[in-house]
Amino acid sequence: MSWTDNVITRALKGAGFTLVLLLEAIGHSTQIWRRRRAIFTQMHVIGTQSIPIASFFMLLIGMVFALQVGIEFARFGQTNLVGLVLVAAMVRELGPWMVGFVLIARVGSSMAAEIGTMQVAEEIDALEVMSINPASFVVMPRIVALSIMGPVLTVIGTLVGIVGGGIVSNLQLGVTWSDYLRFAEDGAEALDIYWGLLKSFVFSIVSGSVACAIGMKTSGGAVGVGRASRNTVVLSLTLVVFFNYLLTSFYRIVKMFVSGVL
Amino acid sequence: MSGSPKLAVQFEGVSKVLAGRQILDKLSFDVREGETFVIIGYSGTGKSVTLRHMVGLMAPDEGSIRVENEEITTMSRRELEIMRRKFGVLFQSGALIAWLTLFENVELPLLEHTKMSRKKRAEIVQEKLEIVNLWQDREKYPAEISGGMKKRAGLARALALDPGIVLYDEPTSGLDPVIANEIDKLINRLKREHHMTQIVVTHDMDSAFEIGDRIGMFYKGSMIQIGTPEEIQSSTIPEVQHFITGGREGAISRRANTAVIRGVAPGMLSQRSLEAIESEAPVATAEQGYVLLSEEEAAAAALQPQEETEGPVDTAGPRNATPSLEPEETDA
Repeated sequence: MSWTDNVITRALKGAGFTLVLLLEAIGHSTQIWRRRRAIFTQMHVIGTQSIPIASFFMLLIGMVFALQVGIEFARFGQTNLVGLVLVAAMVRELGPWMVGFVLIARVGSSMAAEIGTMQVAEEIDALEVMSINPASFVVMPRIVALSIMGPVLTVIGTLVGIVGGGIVSNLQLGVTWSDYLRFAEDGAEALDIYWGLLKSFVFSIVSGSVACAIGMKTSGGAVGVGRASRNTVVLSLTLVVFFNYLLTSFYRIVKMFVSGVL
Repeated sequence: MSGSPKLAVQFEGVSKVLAGRQILDKLSFDVREGETFVIIGYSGTGKSVTLRHMVGLMAPDEGSIRVENEEITTMSRRELEIMRRKFGVLFQSGALIAWLTLFENVELPLLEHTKMSRKKRAEIVQEKLEIVNLWQDREKYPAEISGGMKKRAGLARALALDPGIVLYDEPTSGLDPVIANEIDKLINRLKREHHMTQIVVTHDMDSAFEIGDRIGMFYKGSMIQIGTPEEIQSSTIPEVQHFITGGREGAISRRANTAVIRGVAPGMLSQRSLEAIESEAPVATAEQGYVLLSEEEAAAAALQPQEETEGPVDTAGPRNATPSLEPEETDA
């Protein structure tokens, strides 16, 4: 077997395992009430504790984005339109994306390390032996918490980003708040907002199941846990940009359909 | 048959290849109901893999495994889940769930598999934690306690559902001799009072002889000898002798209060050791001056005045291996 075959086989096996694990976790979502404590704990760790870093991130991105757009728009005397472009970009792309990245870096990596450590320390086996399905006990609460908190954080992050853009527009580009907000309103319609939330939901599920699957497949002690954490970040980022492209393409079709072009 | 003992676990011709290595090679043995069966063997040779097969965490490439006369190799996942409730398993590291307190860890199987009231659960958790002497530490998290305590808590959790069969993966490894003894006593107590079938994987020979009704020596994927502790101790199979003596020239106990070695202890530089190495002498026997005493004999021997003469003769006084700050002996 050549090494390419080997890589492909491993990738397919990994994808299969991840998908089965995700489906199993979804299957166990009937136990959401029973596992509410674990879910709330995870929502706190994943969501509440991520608010400061995600907000800071989005604030700065909003500011930089407004500046860059402001530079170009100034050439045409259209600085007032900064809000429109910024909101469109934030709601459709930057919000879900950047919050997704923050979650992968902050949550996905530690989730893989945590589950990886459980695997290495035989805790996952112990659960199996106690007839407690790890997909229900470990994976489901994490994926549920992530898929709730991902979109919530996206909303918060996007709003903060829009405020950041507004601050820069007001202080550095000389756009009044009323102008900024007036055009900002036109930046996104309902479909854009739903689509942004859908993206963030998909990213959360993708990165959550990748982290759990890689964690569950960890072997080889501390080195293995480190590897699991790194692989999770790399693979999640790759999959998120890939899914983002797919979702954006799909969005274009839906948008054309809605506006009657198709 | 009414005469023969009931079997708790049967392995028949079980083979398993892992990463190109033949880990289990037509492994066959039975464990009788109510006995303590000890599996000894070198580290990393597949003893733990054997345990994992027993609870269906791994499936064999070939062969049959029966638990209380039910074939488990063909069971569905659901059937395996039900079958596993017959087992309590103590993992090597305790395998406690890190984000739960000791109390919650022991409560977990009850919470998942029974419809008991909170009060009833608390009673059982208290009972089990008291068995392992950890009730006062119930609010601690696994990261806050020592390795020995983790193992004991793991045992409390394994016992939570009153399983018929308890598996122990290296219950005494990494523990100090006193705690190790406590675990052995606990295993014996569970057999005596609760008639549990217990299967212990260990390479701690003191423990194996202390607790085992029967001992099986695992070597190169199968059992090369199964017998009572006495039979194993007097085994003529070189691999078994080599293993139980730790490759040294006498049957030496590392556990202070269970054995006393008569005669000269073979230190690294003692003449006898060097001779033994040069002559590749197999194993010291009682005739050669090393006697493994029972706990009672050891206690009695320790009370006698100590004498020491030079030379490998059996006339030397007893030497208690307990570490002591006082000079161990003076020439009489």
